[in-house]
Amino acid sequence: MAQDEPTSAALSVRAVSKTFVTKPVLRGIDLVVPAGEAVCLCGINGAGKSTLLRVIAGLLRPDSGSIAIQGYEVRREPEKSRRQLGMISHAGMAYPELTVSENLAFAARLYGVPRRAERIEELLAGTGLTSYRYDRAEILSRGLQQRLAIARALLHRPAVLLADEPFTGLDAAATQDVCTIFDRFARDGGTILMTTHDLRLGLQCCRRVAVLDQGVLILDASKDRIDTRRFLDDYLSYARTMS
Amino acid sequence: MWLGLRAILIKDIVVELRARQALPTMVVLGMLIVFILRIASESAAAGGGAPVMGAAALWIAFLFSGLLAQERSFAAEQHNGCMDGLLLAPLDAGTIYLAKLLANIILLTIFEAVVVPLVLIAFHLHVAGWGRLVTVLLLGNLGISSVGTLFSAAVQLTRTRGALLSIVVLVLLMPMMIPASFALLVLFGALPERMVGSGSFAFVGSFPAAVAYMLAFDAVFTVASWLLFGVVVEE
Repeated sequence: MAQDEPTSAALSVRAVSKTFVTKPVLRGIDLVVPAGEAVCLCGINGAGKSTLLRVIAGLLRPDSGSIAIQGYEVRREPEKSRRQLGMISHAGMAYPELTVSENLAFAARLYGVPRRAERIEELLAGTGLTSYRYDRAEILSRGLQQRLAIARALLHRPAVLLADEPFTGLDAAATQDVCTIFDRFARDGGTILMTTHDLRLGLQCCRRVAVLDQGVLILDASKDRIDTRRFLDDYLSYARTMS
Repeated sequence: MWLGLRAILIKDIVVELRARQALPTMVVLGMLIVFILRIASESAAAGGGAPVMGAAALWIAFLFSGLLAQERSFAAEQHNGCMDGLLLAPLDAGTIYLAKLLANIILLTIFEAVVVPLVLIAFHLHVAGWGRLVTVLLLGNLGISSVGTLFSAAVQLTRTRGALLSIVVLVLLMPMMIPASFALLVLFGALPERMVGSGSFAFVGSFPAAVAYMLAFDAVFTVASWLLFGVVVEE
């Protein structure tokens, strides 16, 4: 994990609100995630999950509230907070014309990763991309592109990983591989906030679940403290009854 | 057949009206061509047919190709969310702007190295000072690239404001195109080194003044674009 005077909570979201034109998308979100914890953020389409992740990443400016990553305020110390953050989004952020290795080398330069070649080798092996290193990103399958996105996100050893629908378009084997990578990351002390529509996978990868409903965080609990069967059956109704 | 034709036609028009991507660029480039030819025509009375056409052809080619290349450079970043990848990196937005600007300048310089000899040969032009020609072309290159890079980022990232931004870039580039056209016309022998009287060229006055105007334009707009880039790419 990136170590640069870290503080207690790896991720701290305080009273964050965001409105697009006249439509409120996030309303007073509070979320504190300690180091080493994985949180699954659930919600129907349009609930505000991706917006919350983009606000945390500093890609969107919140109307109010504050966000800190490893103690670094995202708006006040953007470069320090970004150094602590890795993100996997719907798009892979890979340049199609570059090879797998070239994409990783480019990202490594952006982040000033020390011992670049070694780190790239390590990630190629860890994500099963070694034999594809000279392939252009444009010819990779969806599953391999997602592995590349994960390798890119973990390249600079971030403390916090944001993953927006990381399992979309993956087959069962690739999905399990991604879960294994996330599990390893969390065991090494990394913090994960991921969104998914696949609740079973979310519960498999994360120890904690949060539910967003119309921009409001209506449930935030350890998975040990929820009725898993009812949650999987109809998580939204369950969360509403619990809130 | 007609049903499909009609459906595609209506879809294309609706998409363009909503995205406003092609039309603003077409309008801007069309207006720039008219504007440059209008400026160049001021020297036609002096009897410089081929130099006038040559100078106009060069600036039109640079503007067309420069703006096209700059737009492509940000369109490529939008693909696959690569722009997000850049914005997530621990860099300030100004660094991204400068890198993009330098890449666009290099591309346009390569383009100039190919097109300038072609225009000189095609229009049988004689250059009064190669060093001065390179200076004018590089200053023009920097001016087009500094404004164009900011403009392209804004159009790609904030599509709904494309039409307004297109007008803005046109207005911004106009003050540079007058001295730039003047300088080339002097170098091609269509205008004397110093101009007096009325008209936009008389306003510029002399070749050194034209270069100074271009230099000032480049300095102001490069610094302003560098400072504004962070605001443009946010959200």
